[in-house]
Amino acid sequence: MAAPCRKMASRSFPQLLCYFSRIAVGSGACRRFSVTPIDRATPRASTAADRATSPWSLMAAVCLQRLPVITADCSPIEQRFKQMLQQMELEKSLVSDHELRLMEDAERMSRRQADDYDSDEEDRGDQEIMMTQDLEDTWEQRLKNFQPAPRVRVSFPDLSSAQRCLADSLVLLAEQQVGAERLWLLPQAAWQEGETLRQTAERALDSVTAAGVKVTFLGNAPCGVYKYKLPKAARTEGSVGRKVFFFKAILADGAPGSAPTAPLLWVKKSELQKYLKPSYMMKVDRFILNL
Amino acid sequence: MSLVVSRCIGGVLSRQAAASRLFLGECNPAVQSPWFSPVATLKTSAPLRAEPKKKKKADPRREIMVRERLKKKLKKLERVPPEFIPIEDFITPTKCLDETRERIPPTLSFEESESRALLLKEWSRYKQKQHMAEVEAIELALEAQREALEELKMESEELYLAALKPDPLLLPFTHEGPAYTPPIPNYDAPDGKYNDITRVYTQ
Repeated sequence: MAAPCRKMASRSFPQLLCYFSRIAVGSGACRRFSVTPIDRATPRASTAADRATSPWSLMAAVCLQRLPVITADCSPIEQRFKQMLQQMELEKSLVSDHELRLMEDAERMSRRQADDYDSDEEDRGDQEIMMTQDLEDTWEQRLKNFQPAPRVRVSFPDLSSAQRCLADSLVLLAEQQVGAERLWLLPQAAWQEGETLRQTAERALDSVTAAGVKVTFLGNAPCGVYKYKLPKAARTEGSVGRKVFFFKAILADGAPGSAPTAPLLWVKKSELQKYLKPSYMMKVDRFILNL
Repeated sequence: MSLVVSRCIGGVLSRQAAASRLFLGECNPAVQSPWFSPVATLKTSAPLRAEPKKKKKADPRREIMVRERLKKKLKKLERVPPEFIPIEDFITPTKCLDETRERIPPTLSFEESESRALLLKEWSRYKQKQHMAEVEAIELALEAQREALEELKMESEELYLAALKPDPLLLPFTHEGPAYTPPIPNYDAPDGKYNDITRVYTQ
């Protein structure tokens, strides 16, 4: 009886630790939990030792998204449902003031057209001058005077403009030199001593876009990681491979800068496959939400 | 002789009157009538003498108690709870209860009602699929983040702790959602005019 209890107790504590760490890891901006007080005692020495022995060199990349500007078109079932719902709501509703006015006006017109019409009885001095139909016409006229920007563009902007595909969210891709070749990937930069990974990601974004771009980084925590080993020729003692940590950002401004220094692309999630390498695409696909 | 008798009687009477006057003078000097027969003491009571009422020792305390009870009762009556502010949304305006506003419910054909029911079911299936896809996408993203943080922890503790810190500048975060038409560049929207008719209640 006593032995199994002790085993359960010893098993539950690490489980509790895992549970806490999962909660902390699950949300990007979370509270610091003090489950490992021992580690905090010697952070400096351990990190220096860690970085020295680790064979991976760190890089940070930014996943900049331009969120949709206009609402997407309704799918066929959505359209049918919308119509049906409008019909049902109309049937269940009460008659509004405007509709009552319309009905009264129609009645008055019909009474005027009738043979036994007595103008002294019906027409009074303080009657409304405007018929309801005229009111509706004035409203329609005022609406026609306003010209909204068109939803569907006649001329499609090219891939490097952030104004294409206004109904979808777009991701920024940059062509960068990786080893010997130039690849299309999310803008990245190598991590330097003394800065956090988020600062590295900000640096990466600045190097690729023009200055004055209003961007909001979503939290300090990375949203994804991609690690790859360098080809045998490029491997040194210090670095066997690279780990790229991705950080999410949202484009706050409408125009993302005038003249970028490197070729840029704004692509939808469905078009990413054409530009990214398959293994890279697999990792990146997970955290780019197309909701 | 009659004069003497009368003088004697007068003398006796005066002597008697004097004696009585002497007696009466001790008790009640105000009454000076010769017809009162002197009594040993005249019966007098406090109200006759117009003296203030003599109180027992418990009385002042009893009076104070009575006064306090009355004050408490007054306070209870004065303590009126403040009137509740009416919630406008919960009061159905009388305009809606007007009978002339009721529509005639239309008679739906069998096909129409059937098609409506089927469309509702199709819609629920569509929405469920959408929701499951959303939940799956969010779970994938969370998994990717968890993996990233694990890898970072394996790399360096310092960067890991820096990544876990909350960003105070992030919230409050606002973003304009999608509208039906894209924004017109350099558009000066005219100010709208409105009459604010909300009722303000004070308690």
